[in-house]
Amino acid sequence: MNDIDKNARPGRTELSRRHLIKRAAGIGLLGTGFDRLMNVRWIDPVAAAAYDPKKYAGTKISILMVGGEGEDRAIADLVPELEAETGIKLEIQAPALGALIEKTFQIVKSDHSPFELISYLGFLTTQLVGAGGFEQLNTYVDSPDETPPDWDFKDFIPAAVKNVGIYDLKTHTKSGSAIYGVPGLESTSCIYFYRKDLLDAAGLKPAQTWEEFNSNAQKLHKAGVAGCSFIGANDPSLGLVDWFTRFITIGGTLMTGDPNGKDFRPHVDSPEGIAALQMLIDTLPFAPQNVTQYGFAENVDGFSTGKIAQMIFWATIAGPIFDKEKSLVADKTGTAVVPAAPGQKHRSILGGWGVGIPKNADPAKKAAAWRALTWLTSKKTNAYEVSKYQVSASRKSTFEDPDLVKRFPYLPASAKAITDAEVMTTAYIPEVFELNAALCVEFNKALIGGQDAKAACAAVQTQWEAILRKGGHLI
Amino acid sequence: MGTQALAEGSGISAGWFGRRGAEAWLLLGPCLFYLATFAIFPLVYSLRLSFTDLTAAVGTGRWVGLKNYSDLLADPQFWNATKNSLIMVASAVTIQVVLGVALAMFFDLQLRGSSIVRGILALPMLITPIVVGVMWRALLNPDWGLINWAIARVGFEPPNWLGSVEMAMKTLVLVDVWQWTPFVVIIVYARLQALPHDVFEAAQIDGAGRISTFRHITLPLLMPAILFAGIFRAVDEFRSFDLIYGLTYGGPARTTTTLSFFSFQNGFQFHNYGYAAAVAYVMLLILVAGTTILLRYVQLRPGHTQ
Repeated sequence: MNDIDKNARPGRTELSRRHLIKRAAGIGLLGTGFDRLMNVRWIDPVAAAAYDPKKYAGTKISILMVGGEGEDRAIADLVPELEAETGIKLEIQAPALGALIEKTFQIVKSDHSPFELISYLGFLTTQLVGAGGFEQLNTYVDSPDETPPDWDFKDFIPAAVKNVGIYDLKTHTKSGSAIYGVPGLESTSCIYFYRKDLLDAAGLKPAQTWEEFNSNAQKLHKAGVAGCSFIGANDPSLGLVDWFTRFITIGGTLMTGDPNGKDFRPHVDSPEGIAALQMLIDTLPFAPQNVTQYGFAENVDGFSTGKIAQMIFWATIAGPIFDKEKSLVADKTGTAVVPAAPGQKHRSILGGWGVGIPKNADPAKKAAAWRALTWLTSKKTNAYEVSKYQVSASRKSTFEDPDLVKRFPYLPASAKAITDAEVMTTAYIPEVFELNAALCVEFNKALIGGQDAKAACAAVQTQWEAILRKGGHLI
Repeated sequence: MGTQALAEGSGISAGWFGRRGAEAWLLLGPCLFYLATFAIFPLVYSLRLSFTDLTAAVGTGRWVGLKNYSDLLADPQFWNATKNSLIMVASAVTIQVVLGVALAMFFDLQLRGSSIVRGILALPMLITPIVVGVMWRALLNPDWGLINWAIARVGFEPPNWLGSVEMAMKTLVLVDVWQWTPFVVIIVYARLQALPHDVFEAAQIDGAGRISTFRHITLPLLMPAILFAGIFRAVDEFRSFDLIYGLTYGGPARTTTTLSFFSFQNGFQFHNYGYAAAVAYVMLLILVAGTTILLRYVQLRPGHTQ
């Protein structure tokens, strides 16, 4: 048992990185891989000596990542520092989301990737990693020569690792111990934003349940301030954030069956599906008058200018909401995990990104790409991303950093939300965007009075079944 | 003297592969290369694409014959988009032509300052449609838009321009008319300036009134310009995409989703490239058929041709 660290603290399993893979493989075979993988502590007493930060100095690495969401600016800021510390020259290409997705799919299917690192959306893990497009990273993770001693894989939020990092190519599930991507440069979920001052003045408490949320909305609604808001426009987040959060927290199950089989069946028209949409319809009188045209920007503007009392939203907006230069309510805002029906878990959708090395990248540059990847997903980089651009963090240490928590009080709620968040199961198939678009169109139509909740859910159910049949996921 | 005779006289071969032929190839070459690369190849490639199942994630680009086209015919969203496209073309072009002709006639009165107004009127045409879309979306914003503010200031309830099923298409047409009516004005006004004076003088001598002159002389003489402007606008309107992207994004409830937007969604949001290419080719077929019918109609009426 010489692989067990003698200094291990009671209650924790601690072993060298070299033996971790052996154990992880065994754990994977036993079917309990992921939880155990994330519970071990990586101790590498000789790592610091073995690790040469300048080993790949002079190598040029290109990364393809999303533009306009903060991460690209953070990385661009840090390029000189990366080069100074590792000698690696980093080139960033950061197109908008749509172009990035298209380009990524083209690249992973081609013979040679012009990028050594690609950032991919968690929704696309199954389609990109599952299609064998990315290099397995365990060998690098396990090597003290290749991985900085303080990089600390277990510091990443386990849910984020599960969302973008691990994948079993045999069962095509997000399980096992094979690592293909590293969480980052952003991991996110949804949290509950509320106006502390308004709740206090009205003698109310932050909502724990949807009933309380709606009741608070009703009581706080007055001229100039809407009791609550949500994404009511035909916007992807109407489905992903507002409906899905309510749906799963009142006990709904979106899909049953096997995404790779022929029985992947939707349940949008289930009682929970209809009830979740009805909840949104019921809050219309206490929402901004034009909430059915409210997308991302309108809600952020509305909340930060003090016109909205509560809403469920992506944690990524907490940055501008808590920024005194951009928000009138920075000192008056509170955050918590999303409400849930009694007995249900307070959870929301899991979003975020992973970074991996395309399998078809230049083999001579893959080790250098790993070196750059560890630097870009390091504790220091993650803290910088949050500190400067309020990008939603991927590491536990960032969420727990006392200085950051002091500056950004939303971080604990955000950390809890990501930890308990749930992957939307439609993300397991390529038709995810088409499915969500159909859902948002019909739900928006219900919100503007074009149909009732039951008809809207039935319409979505019909369209989803047609899309799933066309894609071969449902007979 | 024909080219062949010239060539025979000078002893130079005038065929495509002779010396003159080489010169011809040299001169035509860049143009042919450009056409082949940027027009013919994309057309052929996208036609081929429309017979495959290519998607970004799992499509293999397998030949599926007419499946995409048969799927289209069974897709209610395709028919909804077709209906919206036809409504948009018919309403926007009709209003633009009627308004454009009226304004051109008005400017033809040559009132003081009309040249300045004409210049200002043409400005919307110079703005990129996506910018027009975003600009009008801001102007019509229900919370802080200038237009709603102005309507409310004079005591009326502002309409829900972009958020209501009943209003969205009307708003889209309104903005399109704002941007493109000047195009019709310019074409018709230019034609008005070129009309022969003697015909109008003869009509005046014969005692024709203003309305009668307009109906029996001005309008028939203007018809080629009006039809040109109308057909040009109809073709452009039919493939209009950027204004919709910027203004309504096809909503609400798909009421402004036109064929071009439907093709964009399938191609660049859902990554169903084969299906999107099929939509584009159906659009092309509708355009070719529509334009051919219109042009034939023009030729069949001698009074309308110049």
